[in-house]
Amino acid sequence: MIRTDKLTKQFADLTAVKALDLDIPQGEFFAFLGPNGAGKTTTIKLLVGLLKPTSGRAIVGGFDIQQDPVAARKLISYVPDLPFLYEKLEPLEFMLFVGQLYGMDRKQAERSSLELFERFQLDATRGQLIENLSHGTRQRVVLASALLHDPKVLIIDEPMVGLDPRSARVVKDVLKERSRAGTTVFLSTHILYIAEELADRIGILSRGKLIAVGSMDQLRAAAGKVGALEETFLALTQESVEAPAETPAGS
Amino acid sequence: MNTRELFRLLLWVTGRMLLRRTMALRQQSTLMLTVIALFVLAYGVGGYFSFLWGFEHLSRFPGLGGVLIERVLYVFFAFLLLMLVISNMVIGYSALFKSSETQWLLTLPVRAADVFAWKTAETTVLASWAFLFLATPLMLAYGAAQEMPFSFYLRIALLFIPFIIIPGAVGGLIVLFVTRYLHRRLFKWSLMAIGVVALLGATFFLRPLESADNESVQMMETVNQLLRGSRLALQPLLPSYWVAAGVVAWGEGPVWKGNFFLVLLISNALMAGYACTVFSRWVFYDGWSRNHSQEGFLSGLKWLDRSARPQPVKWLDRLLGMLPGLQPWTRALVAKDLRVFWRDTSQWSQFVIFFGLLGLYVINLRPSAFGSPVWSMFVAFLSMGATALTSATLTTRFVFPQFSLEGRRLWIVGLAPCGLKHVLYEKFWLSSVVTSVVTLALMMISAYRLKLPGWMTLLFGATTVLMSFGLSGIAVGIGALFPHFGSGASVMRRDDNPAKIVSGFGGTFCFVMSLVYILIVMGIEAWPLYTHLTGTTFTGYWWLTIVIAVWSVVMFVSLVAITVPMRLAVRRVESLEM
Repeated sequence: MIRTDKLTKQFADLTAVKALDLDIPQGEFFAFLGPNGAGKTTTIKLLVGLLKPTSGRAIVGGFDIQQDPVAARKLISYVPDLPFLYEKLEPLEFMLFVGQLYGMDRKQAERSSLELFERFQLDATRGQLIENLSHGTRQRVVLASALLHDPKVLIIDEPMVGLDPRSARVVKDVLKERSRAGTTVFLSTHILYIAEELADRIGILSRGKLIAVGSMDQLRAAAGKVGALEETFLALTQESVEAPAETPAGS
Repeated sequence: MNTRELFRLLLWVTGRMLLRRTMALRQQSTLMLTVIALFVLAYGVGGYFSFLWGFEHLSRFPGLGGVLIERVLYVFFAFLLLMLVISNMVIGYSALFKSSETQWLLTLPVRAADVFAWKTAETTVLASWAFLFLATPLMLAYGAAQEMPFSFYLRIALLFIPFIIIPGAVGGLIVLFVTRYLHRRLFKWSLMAIGVVALLGATFFLRPLESADNESVQMMETVNQLLRGSRLALQPLLPSYWVAAGVVAWGEGPVWKGNFFLVLLISNALMAGYACTVFSRWVFYDGWSRNHSQEGFLSGLKWLDRSARPQPVKWLDRLLGMLPGLQPWTRALVAKDLRVFWRDTSQWSQFVIFFGLLGLYVINLRPSAFGSPVWSMFVAFLSMGATALTSATLTTRFVFPQFSLEGRRLWIVGLAPCGLKHVLYEKFWLSSVVTSVVTLALMMISAYRLKLPGWMTLLFGATTVLMSFGLSGIAVGIGALFPHFGSGASVMRRDDNPAKIVSGFGGTFCFVMSLVYILIVMGIEAWPLYTHLTGTTFTGYWWLTIVIAVWSVVMFVSLVAITVPMRLAVRRVESLEM
């Protein structure tokens, strides 16, 4: 469902993403990890077509995001780390707007919105303006709007930041459900236990290079570690820092 | 989703939000709404009668009345066109390349060219409404002077629609190509270079008016020079020419000629819109990506790469280090404020445009143009007022929001050993010194050009500096008394911008207080000038005493303008909970 071929992005002298090869099948929950400045957000921006790659290509649902961006984006929902919302709209109005942008009719969008409101415990926000909502509630509105049109690919950057434990649990459950139902989830996070708990496969990016990719067991084996993901992550990223030349990406 | 469906949805959202903003006005202070309404009314009525008086005055000019009135229209619309293009460029750059809404829209299944079309249309409306508001009294006065029927005003309104679309589209296209092909840093320096060249060019090529000895010959010569000097506005390829010619034709006939210019404007507006559609398909997404990737023409140059060259701000640190008596935190705060200002092009470009235009005006002042030294003094007095008004606009726009902009970073400076009180003092001194340097320079050039006597140069110069301090005190003080830290989660977001902060009650109050202060100071200083203009003579000793007395009163008023808001602000920040 998501494929990248030698995807590269150069910012002046800095190569933010170096020849990234990824292949994520439909229904997979893929966690994307990496230290600060590793190139995770740049990769996501390349996947959703916000940035043009310097070389290589990104293909979503069979559509090249540069060649056929509208067709590709119909399949995608993207939730950035700092999402945009219209401050003077009510959450339901925002949902209706997003639904219609994805081609849903108004009634269908309203019905689905109300279901998602219940699921994300957003019923109490009806009648309030978005500008008055807390950070966590806004985050839930954004996630609900991202799921509204039943996307085939969900790309999320740090979804749990600012969420209280109950909301975080709801979000985790919904994401896992969607993944089981066939949605490909591409989640970028710094919270390692989320990746460990939810992901089918984990990719680790360091200095723009994919230094490891695989299931938890495969990563542990590659790092020669046992136990929690934290040790494995630290070992792999430390190796990459110490040996920056060429580190083969496992799969 | 096609363009029409997207526009329909976005219009619905915009309409809802506009409705909410309008309804939110009910929660605003009645005082603020009354003040704004009175200002609007005062401008509308005052502007209308001033223009009407001007048109009637010009129409009485023997043999040339009609020509002069026409020329006023041509020059006015040429100036309006220039301002609209600049305004569309400044707002368009932020809307197209910096707005979080644009970024979000580009992740949706819509065409990038449609996003460009929407944001350009939105920019055109945002950039144009204020100028149209300014133009309304002029058009009403022209219609009244020509005794036109009601249908004339409807036709003029029709003429304005394509007229604002053309600079909107041109501004959008300039931003599109500049962003696509120029590196951001190169763009910043290019903008500055263009500004300097324009200022120098205008200084050398705009010829000042010269006068003859005989009064009637002098008048004719002045009119002749004015007509010659404003010929640039008569370029028939300018859209401003078409709109002015249309207004004149509908006002004085023949009507078919007015219709012709309306059709000409519509066809060119359509052509400009078409050009936007075509070029945005090719360039917009590419430019957006490059803008966010620090790419562009000459992007390979090491000089353009911040990390690859010596930091230009190091000289600032060295300079601040040389200033004696500054505490380390003061140096750090000053350096931080100057860097933040410099790195935001949309901030300082407005500063440069405002003072650049004022500079252009004072550089072109000549004593001979006003016939007598008395008129030169009057013009210098008005220049001082204009400089102070520009300062008030800029201190309200840039200095007032400073405290609010600290926002979520307030704890950094608030918990630092210097305390918030010193932050306020630093902002006050920095603003006062910067505005004093600029306004004093303008005032001195004005005094030099007009060959003012020494005592008046000293009086106006000292008053200008005092007013810079007074206006800074008002802006910093009221900025801390009415901070805008955002509500709910908005305090955490990055999109709080100075323009939004200024548009609240505090910003309006700050501007009104600044105007009141300027009016008081100007009123006090008008007295010695008036006595001088009316020919009242005093002995040297008495004259000196009067000037010193007047300046002392101005100083007292300025001290009040500085200390009252600053003291209240200090008291406020000392009890502020972070």
